[in-house]
Amino acid sequence: MSYLVVTDAAKQFGPSFMALNGVSLSVERGEFFTLLGPSGCGKTTLLRAIAGFNDLTSGEITLDGSNLRVVPPHQRDIGMVFQDYAVFPHLSVFDNVAFGLKPRKVPAAQIKTRVTQALEAVRLGAMAERLPAAMSGGQQQRIGLARAMVINPRLLLMDEPLSNLDAKLRIELREEIRDIQKQVDIATIYVTHDQEEALAISDRICVMNSGKIEQIGTPQEIYGNPQTRFVAEFVGTLNIFQPGAALDAMLGKLGLAHAGAATWAVRPEHLDLAGPDSDGNGSATLPGTVSKYTYLGREAHVQVETPAGRLVVQLPNPGMAATREAGEAVSVLVPRTAPMSFSANGARMGG
Amino acid sequence: MAMPRFNFWTVVMILTWVLLFVLLFIPVGSVLISSLYDQSGNFTFANYLKFLGEPRFRQAFLNTLVVGFGGLFGALLLGSIMAFCVSRFAIRGGRFVSLLAILALVSPPFIGAYSWIVLFGAGGVVRGFLRDLGISMPPIYGVGGILIVFSLKFYPYVYLMVSGALSNVNRSLEEAAEGLGLTPLQRTFRISFPMVFPALTASGLLALIHAIADFGTPRLLGRGYNVLATEAFTLYSAEVGSNMSMATTISVVLIVVSMVFVLLQRYMSRRNVYHGNMINKPARIQLKGWRNVLAHFAVYFIGLCGALPVIISVIYSFRKTSGPVFQQGFALQSYERILFNLGDVVRNSLTFSFVAVALIVMIGTVVGVLVARRTNLNTALLDGAFMVPYVMPGIVIGIAFIAAFNTGPIVLTGTAAIIILSIFIRRLPYTVRTTASSLRQISPSMEEAAISLGYSPFQAFLRITVPLIVPGIIAGGMLSFVTAINELSSSLVLYVGSTMTMPVRIYLLILDGDFGVAAALSTILLLLSGCAVYIAFRFMGRNEQALL
Repeated sequence: MSYLVVTDAAKQFGPSFMALNGVSLSVERGEFFTLLGPSGCGKTTLLRAIAGFNDLTSGEITLDGSNLRVVPPHQRDIGMVFQDYAVFPHLSVFDNVAFGLKPRKVPAAQIKTRVTQALEAVRLGAMAERLPAAMSGGQQQRIGLARAMVINPRLLLMDEPLSNLDAKLRIELREEIRDIQKQVDIATIYVTHDQEEALAISDRICVMNSGKIEQIGTPQEIYGNPQTRFVAEFVGTLNIFQPGAALDAMLGKLGLAHAGAATWAVRPEHLDLAGPDSDGNGSATLPGTVSKYTYLGREAHVQVETPAGRLVVQLPNPGMAATREAGEAVSVLVPRTAPMSFSANGARMGG
Repeated sequence: MAMPRFNFWTVVMILTWVLLFVLLFIPVGSVLISSLYDQSGNFTFANYLKFLGEPRFRQAFLNTLVVGFGGLFGALLLGSIMAFCVSRFAIRGGRFVSLLAILALVSPPFIGAYSWIVLFGAGGVVRGFLRDLGISMPPIYGVGGILIVFSLKFYPYVYLMVSGALSNVNRSLEEAAEGLGLTPLQRTFRISFPMVFPALTASGLLALIHAIADFGTPRLLGRGYNVLATEAFTLYSAEVGSNMSMATTISVVLIVVSMVFVLLQRYMSRRNVYHGNMINKPARIQLKGWRNVLAHFAVYFIGLCGALPVIISVIYSFRKTSGPVFQQGFALQSYERILFNLGDVVRNSLTFSFVAVALIVMIGTVVGVLVARRTNLNTALLDGAFMVPYVMPGIVIGIAFIAAFNTGPIVLTGTAAIIILSIFIRRLPYTVRTTASSLRQISPSMEEAAISLGYSPFQAFLRITVPLIVPGIIAGGMLSFVTAINELSSSLVLYVGSTMTMPVRIYLLILDGDFGVAAALSTILLLLSGCAVYIAFRFMGRNEQALL
């Protein structure tokens, strides 16, 4: 049996709003598991139910085989890292981290070594005696992390811990969180709405939408083989083809056909550009004109108006001279493996 | 798991309602009922008809509105001039000016009125001096004097609130207006003025509410210019033919008038509050030449006039006296007389205030937690019920307590308890509200973090939330102490010989013409208030707005 098991979790707010609607998932020992979804999708509600701050309306949560729902939150032994850091402003950095060791009756000498170790791990060793009020957001969240880890919890929960930090720090700190988690080997559930963060940090990702699970899988599975249109659009970007004769001709040339496919889509990085009269070399071609060119340094986005709708083509390593002018005639190359099809209810079809 | 806490808070909830019923609804109800019965106990609207019919009462009603709106406009005029100058121009000694405003704010009640009599009354020092120079000016009595005193007494409300709002106007807004081609004058009226308008109206109405509740000033300066508060007191305290049912009728009218303006004030202070991001703070302009002189003169003139009563009473407290008559030179006679004759009055004031503040802090904090943390219909009602003491002028609370606790199951008249409880119920809402609002500012994740680390919810509250709100609670307690020790109007109705407090004694001394001792007592009051304000500022940072 898995380490943490959530079965049929439901949470109702008010007379009719279902924040969670039949959510089941399992997390293994030592696994870094991410709940990913837009705001209001129920990911935080699920996390808080596991922490014990809100109970479920119905469903089961077991940790290591025992029912978690009957245990009051302060006896669950689950560490939590908060979006707003929740660092205690009236306690020094050291006392913040030592706070959870006191109710565990850890001897003073051991508190000292464990706190010092935890602070070294988050690179705050030199700041132990300072008050957190004047410290930066990144430093405060390191305190939060050390404080949650030092108690050797059975489970570590993180509720959008990086969302209040600036972009560069976010990447730096997420790498550290990943490294530390692997070192201490504590099963971790991480909540975020940032798909790139989820891909970078997770062993497995659970994509949620309006209280339900869309897909659970490794980052590669989630990005490379999305099982619903929602997942494909939320993780990464997606061009949706406009239905019509041009689309049908393209699919015919590629030999693709799925009965009942409501939507065809393609990721920008799977497309390429060729000259206006290219034959495509095994790929289908769509003639079109450039309507916008966006240079982003390591890549460039070319927006092309084609008979099958407006498509964005992502070009890697754009050279200085590769600029496309608006109005330029081009062909968009669509490889046979690139298009994805979805049924009317959003489920992925075929292969 | 939540059961014991649930029980605890339910008990708190029930006790709070009991408290409100006994100390608030029953007294106010007694006032209302008493106003509906005649002397012989028959139900009647006669009192209200009499109120409408008798010119004396109609005049008092009109006068109340006159002093209320007069106080409003006077305070607005002085306060906004001062706020504008201090927050927009470089004024030397800005902190000293703020101190003058605080002095005016915490000065003992009606001592202002008397100091102005000393200077500009019939035998006033300044009037006498001017008469020697051949300039004759009318004495300060009557409505004009009341309005001058109110303007100078209540301008700090406007000054503190408006200067707060002015320094919150993002300078980028004015720069944007400048970029769009507005002249400085247009800028002021079309950008800055709308931004501070809510603060102006809210603080002006606050001045009005205090003005219509004020008893001491019209009593001493009015000389026949009666307002509702003084009429109620006269009817209540008349040696012969004390007319309790008419006094309660006037109290009801005063409650209604006050309630209208309190609701209006709360409405105004809630809407149209602009929160600027404070990236671009307004700068103070260094004025040159006569403009600079004029700005400094305006600020210091208002500040010093407002603080003048305090300065006068400190000086007069050290003047040599022979009986009640001042002599040339300085001496400590007035203080000696307090030490030997009035020790019990000082002791009473200190004991009553400390007991009231201790009760306010303990009960107010627990109820504040209840209101902030257990949000449901019941706590929302409770929060609303705590509005009621806001609208109760002190004199009405006094009369209401007499009406409720003179006979019946609980008899408290003549005890210290009745004075302590009257202070308690009036100031309790402030503590409940400040506790609730400071709790709402603490992120709930703070306690959740402690819970996830292994502390029970109660332990988490005790170890995390309490330490974070204690400085605010102590500061609030100190400010309650200032109001408690300066409380006159309800104590004046409730005191007996053995429970006399300093403000009551000062009032009686002034009526007896013994200004030396009154000034000395006022100075002691001021010193105590000053200490309390200082301690409060130490705990929460210098925050003049908290005094409002």
